Amino acid sequence: MRIVIAEDSVILRDGLVGLLTDRGHEVVSAVSDGESLRRDVARHLPDVCVVDIRMPPSFTDEGLRAALAIRRAQPDVGVLVFSQYVETRYAAELLAGSAKGVGYLLKDRVADVREFVDSLTRVASGGTALDPEVVSQLLGASRRTAALSTLTPREREVLEHMAEGLSNAGIAAVLTITDRAVEKHIANVFIKLALPPSENDNRRVLAVLRYLDS
Amino acid sequence: MTDLWHAGSAMTATPRLPGVLAPFARRRTWNELLYSLAGLPAGIACFVFSVVTLSVGGALVVVFVGLPIIAISGSTARQLGAGFRRSSQTLTGVAVPAPPPLHPRPGLFGWIGSSLLDVTAWRAQLYLILKLPLGITSFGVAVTFYATGVGGVSYPIWRPFLPCQNGRDGQCHVGASLGPYYFLDTPFRIGLGVVIGVLVLLAAPWAVRSALKLDHWAVRALLGATQSQLRVEQLTRTRTTAIDDSAATLRRIERDLHDGAQARMVSVAMTIGLAREKLAEGADPAEASRLLDTAHTSAKEAVGELRDLARGIHPPVLDTGLASALQTLAAHSAVPVELHTTIAGRQDPAIETMAYFCVAELLANVAKHSEATQAWINAGTAGPWLRVAVSDDGRGGARTAPGSGLAGLADRVATVDGTLTVDSPPGGPTTVSIDVPLTSGRSA
Repeated sequence: MRIVIAEDSVILRDGLVGLLTDRGHEVVSAVSDGESLRRDVARHLPDVCVVDIRMPPSFTDEGLRAALAIRRAQPDVGVLVFSQYVETRYAAELLAGSAKGVGYLLKDRVADVREFVDSLTRVASGGTALDPEVVSQLLGASRRTAALSTLTPREREVLEHMAEGLSNAGIAAVLTITDRAVEKHIANVFIKLALPPSENDNRRVLAVLRYLDS
Repeated sequence: MTDLWHAGSAMTATPRLPGVLAPFARRRTWNELLYSLAGLPAGIACFVFSVVTLSVGGALVVVFVGLPIIAISGSTARQLGAGFRRSSQTLTGVAVPAPPPLHPRPGLFGWIGSSLLDVTAWRAQLYLILKLPLGITSFGVAVTFYATGVGGVSYPIWRPFLPCQNGRDGQCHVGASLGPYYFLDTPFRIGLGVVIGVLVLLAAPWAVRSALKLDHWAVRALLGATQSQLRVEQLTRTRTTAIDDSAATLRRIERDLHDGAQARMVSVAMTIGLAREKLAEGADPAEASRLLDTAHTSAKEAVGELRDLARGIHPPVLDTGLASALQTLAAHSAVPVELHTTIAGRQDPAIETMAYFCVAELLANVAKHSEATQAWINAGTAGPWLRVAVSDDGRGGARTAPGSGLAGLADRVATVDGTLTVDSPPGGPTTVSIDVPLTSGRSA
């Protein structure tokens, strides 16, 4: 993958460049603010960019603004937003309209190198990667408690992984069950929550998130 | 005496006149005369206003419209009082702190209630009523002195126009009489009249000013902010400082954590994660070992940063008392510090913390700005006060300009009713002292 990184902490930026290079990817540019990020994304048209939310000069949501601008201007570039805190509001802004090629992860996730690189790859190829923390916040705040309480523990896990953006195969791998079992659980979840069936993973993420948030 | 006239005079360029005539060249003299003369009509109007509105309002309380009338009267009295306070300041130079504005409760009834209970309004009503005798006094004194003075000085001019009066000697006298048969009609007596006129006229500005003292007293007592209002204002101000200060501190701590230890720990986790990945893939153990070394170094740095941060929030050495905490500060200072302390035992923790951080910042200032080669800390208690002074032999010129570090310190010290004093002539030496009450208001 060709990657652009925007992260103002030198330690983390160098660490990320080292890690991704080591895993065989090409970091075409590593910058420390939103302005440079947008410029370099437009110039290099990478597969994906990794964006820290809090960057100079405002140190508030610079990165998120840049990420949203990139989603509008270069819809084919995957955007993985990367932060030390997750805010459901930011997730909602990022996923407004489409869940294609977008990710929102806690910085801690980088500790599990393989999963992190998997998420990044998924975002680069047009998929979704939503932090489990965001999903559990959404589940916790959801008013659909009655319908959600009808799910079995396994079905609930499947729902969470769907919301995180995992494919059926991905869910099967994480839960170490067969694809067939995953399909069965998903069918049950859709019936119990009265969601319209959806083949596309991205649409499925949006459908689940909208359901939880409504 | 001349200095008194200079004090508070609005005049910038004073025409040169002989000493005794100098008051007449000053605008303030004429302003005071104007204020005194206007005092009578103003006093009559205000007296009538207050007495009529309050008695009408009072009489109508039983049919309820009375209360709104009294409320409107109070609110008007408040405005009039503010007007008198301002004109007294502009014309006669009496500076009185303004009372706080009224914050009425919402709604018409809220407004009426607040207005009825408005202490400032009732004090203003009292002034408006007192303004009548005050105005009569100031008007009377002013008219008497100036009329007598001007009349005396101009006596030779208007004397010939007086009617003829028969004296004891049965003769016709053209002149003013002092007593029944003492006529001012000889050249000597005419001269005497002029001299008296001159003396009275010269005394007039002083007389007017003295008579206004009563009005000044009433303005101060009734139209200014009360002690408790001033205290509330000060507490409100210092409370805001304290809240802003603690919010800024929390923000700084969050930033320090976010940019420092938190980022380092993420990097440690990332590096260890990568090393684990390498080992799982069966890569060269030396490479994994190199990654672990990096993570190890980062982790130690993070621990150091966390320790510094924790010490910045609350230095553990403070738990053993201010004296030993100051010792640690002195030992860590970039400029050599001599510490002299007579603090015995423990003080209020809030006061100790305040003093500690002030000294820490003052020592940092010494190191940063003063070019000093030696600094001194003197700390001790005097009665209910703790005084800590930080001195240096640097280049001086330190100032509590708004927005400066010292002004920030002064604000912080004010939150516990303390004061910060800066003595720093250009060229040095500099001494910054903080005085804080030992009780911190907890038991006060």
